Amino acid sequence: MSAGEAGILFLTLRTAALATIVILAPGLAIAWLLARRRWRGKSIVETLVALPLVMPPVATGLILLELFGRRGPLGFLKIAFSWRAVVVAMAVMSFPLLVRAARVAFEEVNPRFEQIARTLGAGEWRVFATITLPLARRGIVSGALLAFARALGEFGATILVAGNIPGRTSTLSLSIYNLVQLGRDGDAFRLLGWSVALAFAAVWIAEVVVRRKSA
Amino acid sequence: MTIELRNVVLPLAHFTLAVDVQMPARTTGIFGPSGAGKTSLLELIAGLRTPKAGRVVIDGRDVTDLPPRDRRIGYVPQDDALFPHLSVKQNVLYGAHNADDAVLDVLEIRHLLPRGVNQLSGGERKRVALARALLSHPDVLLLDEPLAGVDVELRNRVLQYLVRIRDEFPIPMLYVSHDIEEVRAICEAVVRIERGRAGVG
Amino acid sequence: MRRLAAVVILLIATSALADEVNVFAAASLSDALQEITARYEKSSGDRVVFNFGASSMLARQIENGAPADLFLSADEAKIDRLASQKLILTSTRVSPLSNTLVIVGTTPMKSPRELTKLRVAIAEPSTVPSGVYAHDWLTKLGLWREIEPHVIPTDNVRAALATVEAGNADAAIVYATDARLAKRVRVIYTVPRAEGPKIAYAFAVVAGAEHERAARRFLLYLQSGAAKNIFTRYGFLTR
Repeated sequence: MSAGEAGILFLTLRTAALATIVILAPGLAIAWLLARRRWRGKSIVETLVALPLVMPPVATGLILLELFGRRGPLGFLKIAFSWRAVVVAMAVMSFPLLVRAARVAFEEVNPRFEQIARTLGAGEWRVFATITLPLARRGIVSGALLAFARALGEFGATILVAGNIPGRTSTLSLSIYNLVQLGRDGDAFRLLGWSVALAFAAVWIAEVVVRRKSA
Repeated sequence: MTIELRNVVLPLAHFTLAVDVQMPARTTGIFGPSGAGKTSLLELIAGLRTPKAGRVVIDGRDVTDLPPRDRRIGYVPQDDALFPHLSVKQNVLYGAHNADDAVLDVLEIRHLLPRGVNQLSGGERKRVALARALLSHPDVLLLDEPLAGVDVELRNRVLQYLVRIRDEFPIPMLYVSHDIEEVRAICEAVVRIERGRAGVG
Repeated sequence: MRRLAAVVILLIATSALADEVNVFAAASLSDALQEITARYEKSSGDRVVFNFGASSMLARQIENGAPADLFLSADEAKIDRLASQKLILTSTRVSPLSNTLVIVGTTPMKSPRELTKLRVAIAEPSTVPSGVYAHDWLTKLGLWREIEPHVIPTDNVRAALATVEAGNADAAIVYATDARLAKRVRVIYTVPRAEGPKIAYAFAVVAGAEHERAARRFLLYLQSGAAKNIFTRYGFLTR
């Protein structure tokens, strides 16, 4: 692997990891609210969360560009066309995957255990931390790994809001696109190999985690 | 200690639970056929269900709007509901500030502490669930069919443990069962409940 | 020689700290620039980071706040557009390079009229400079309307070259400088200067650049004799 390829690989891994970490807390919070609470306008929240999953990624990317670009309301943050924009794009696109998996995981926790914990004097935070979260751990880890895998492969939103700047925002998928455009098929296929290997590893680990914890 | 359900109304699957009853004395049994609403009654007192109307009063305190953690009750459900991801020791100490040796000894579970929850027999699970509830120092113990699902041979032994608790600890108990013999063996007073209506009998 | 000396002295004087320059440059400049930069980095100590692409896309990225210090565009129009939004320092604007438009392919071509029967790859004709030049030229010849249905538009000029090299097009309209790097196709027609569009590259420092001094240094170097020699060697036309 050349130094350039290593750089692309590590950039992709770093940003995807950061994106997954960033969405963890808010994702779990929203998943829990969707699983355990009912309120007016809940379906609106459900729909909003699902949007990035259903909309064309470039459409989401355009929205992000309008928000974070120089002329946008969040332009002062100077996020567009930097590695931070890559993280934002990955985070937005992966968010629904995490929320879905975590919500199902929370819903599968028998509310009985939470009730008993409450009768034993535990407050809501303690119930969540000692009962709900540990019992939902398997589904949550699986969801986080899927979110990570999705982030690794992000393209449409990333290319719009982060551009394809070598060394800064040129992730694995963006680099493959670039190389194909330039006719450098050999290099493109090498990166493709890495892309497949990473995705395979992420999904395989997710499956193993699910299988092991059901023992 | 008195537990009162004042004009409490709770719609259930097949009928509406409507009770206005005072439960006195130390050990009161709630007796009735299956599906009469016994478990729902207990859940109302525990705070796991909210009545559509009426008030729940424990020892003069109106707890209707209080969450379970503020009601100072110890609830032992029919299925034990031991936390599967915690050890026996962690289960038992979940609501406790310190390990009350008396409880551990009376229920003879000390040797079970290092085990995992799935390594317990049916009778042992009952005792652990009881210990867990007791160790949170509740004002009243709510027991839902404590002998349900226990083998005939073990029933007497578990019953003995319950008698021991009744005698060694000055803690009021509400004992729900469909078996009148059971209820008579332990309780000083009985409340009958049938199809959502209850009365002291 | 004297100009070179002056530039070198200027470089030594101004390069107190090693700096980094972010250069957004037209795709057609990539090979020549990489050779020029290898020398430049050694003498100045600065690090040059490139973002190559279609000038139209690069201009849009700069409009949206991309962190460029220097913009090297393949046509004046993109620089004009940025200038009107006060996104470049007009005092630094120069146009030192030009290029020639050629058609590449495998079978010899006697007249551009033959394009009407071929699938031809051109960088997006409405925005990318080489595509705009090609479109303007063919329009002047009255051929555009017949050719348009067979046009395969690509993201940038190098992609047009890659398309014809891969066999996905019969011909491509690219710069003479790109054609030199082709392996599987060759120049089959050169657009005469008199007939073709006026090709002029425009360079400028980006307003609010984080590394403005380093950008000015590099821009100056690009106009030096040494740099011009390298550009000429790759087939660019210099003033």
